[in-house]
Amino acid sequence: MTHIVRTKQLTRAYRGKEVVSNVNMNIKQGEIYGMLGPNGAGKTTVMKMITGLVKPTAGEIEIFGERLTDTSYRQLGRMGTIIENPIFYEKLTARENLELHTEYMGYHNKKSIDEALELVNLKGIDGKLVKEFSLGMKQRLGIARAITTKPELLILDEPINGLDPLGIKELRDLFKMLSKQYGITILISSHILGEIELIADTIAVMNDGKLLQEVSMEHIAKLTTEYIEITTNESSKAVYVLENYLHITNVRVNDEGQIRIYDCSIPQNELMKVLVMHDVAIEAVHKKKGSLEDYFLSILNGGGLVA
Amino acid sequence: MLKLMKLEMRKFRIGSYIRAAMIAGVVILGLICLISSIEEIKQGIPFTSYDMAFFVIDTLVRGTYIVFASVLISRLVIDEFRNKSITVLFMYPINRKKLIAAKLLVVVLFTLAADIVANLFVGVGFYVFNLFASVIPGPLTWSVAATSLLKIVMSALATSFLSLIPLYFGMRNHSGVATIVSSLIVVALVCQSVDGFSLYSIIAVPIGLALLGAAVAYMSIRNIEHIDVLK
Repeated sequence: MTHIVRTKQLTRAYRGKEVVSNVNMNIKQGEIYGMLGPNGAGKTTVMKMITGLVKPTAGEIEIFGERLTDTSYRQLGRMGTIIENPIFYEKLTARENLELHTEYMGYHNKKSIDEALELVNLKGIDGKLVKEFSLGMKQRLGIARAITTKPELLILDEPINGLDPLGIKELRDLFKMLSKQYGITILISSHILGEIELIADTIAVMNDGKLLQEVSMEHIAKLTTEYIEITTNESSKAVYVLENYLHITNVRVNDEGQIRIYDCSIPQNELMKVLVMHDVAIEAVHKKKGSLEDYFLSILNGGGLVA
Repeated sequence: MLKLMKLEMRKFRIGSYIRAAMIAGVVILGLICLISSIEEIKQGIPFTSYDMAFFVIDTLVRGTYIVFASVLISRLVIDEFRNKSITVLFMYPINRKKLIAAKLLVVVLFTLAADIVANLFVGVGFYVFNLFASVIPGPLTWSVAATSLLKIVMSALATSFLSLIPLYFGMRNHSGVATIVSSLIVVALVCQSVDGFSLYSIIAVPIGLALLGAAVAYMSIRNIEHIDVLK
């Protein structure tokens, strides 16, 4: 599979302090690539370097198979971006802003502006200056601007800031649609795990300027398997029963004496029956799914994998 | 390049600036007429010949449009950096040098055109005024008119470039105020006149300042591709 964006040992320092260090990213064609990390992790800086707004201190960036240099202008014509807050010419109307955008991009399809405004569901804005827009509306207009010219790569920095829950869902569906139907590669960043989890195909976890892990959602889905948790006072006896009578070996006991069974092939009632038959007092049984949050928190905390 | 300049003018609604420039021209004419009438009473020196009158007009016009140019620079260039809208502009598949050069060219051409047109307008206006008020005795000869015209065009050329000098001060902190204040200093330098003698009449001064303006413009775009747009 070809890569749309690759970075090699990408580093950026401000006054000697590295805000992005040795980042290696590999964004495949057509995927939604989510950057996840707390505020100040360096997500925006990476995006700025990809768009050439900020120059790397070291390392290199390859976009559409070509190395990005200080004078790589052609590549910019194939991207659509929102970085930080969307910025417009505030004294012009939304439509004038988009018209200027298409002119500068050298994209001459007048219908595309209407299409883009419709896609982001921005209505009743004729004759209204951007100055009068709310943050959510600006955010939508920013996305409209980014997609008007049908880019191959969409770079979205915190695109859901300032949107209401309904709007977030709408845009999430829009991004998925753009990726599936038009084959647009999307690089999206957020500090909200739940958001990234819902749309990304690959997740890059960043903290402190470092890329801690680049992992596909498929892979994570395999890691975060279901398990049954049994709360009991007699954990050692219970484990003995499980291992000898049910031949379950994938069992773990945590600090609080709860037993986790990662082998879900045996139905829950069967488990209960056997344990009760052998006189193990059970206080509670839960079927649980290892949450992504646990997984990412453990990465952020420098630990290994959960489970 | 022409297309980029057109886009710039569309983006900043150049129409309102053209209107303002025209109003300024009318105000200058009014001022000239007023001063010349009062000077006449005072038996002052400046308005004794057409030559001198055109010199005063040119000086006033020059001062006005240098400040005007600095307002344009502040809107077209400085504000783009301050509002960060330059990030939008620099993400287009267009050479950054060309983008900035287009902006500066708009300023230069605007100043050049405004300077020449205003000089002609005020000059002709004053001539008509003089027909009635007879501030300056005797007719306007062709040779005086021709030399004045040549001087106006030359001085306008120099003015249009030296009006870029404030860009340097404005870009240091992305401050529109600094741009306009520094333009006032430039005006004070090139538009003062003592007994009809001005620093500007030493030919090396306007040429030197014009070159300085061009140098400032060049400096501002020389490195633009290799630096961070915003910290």
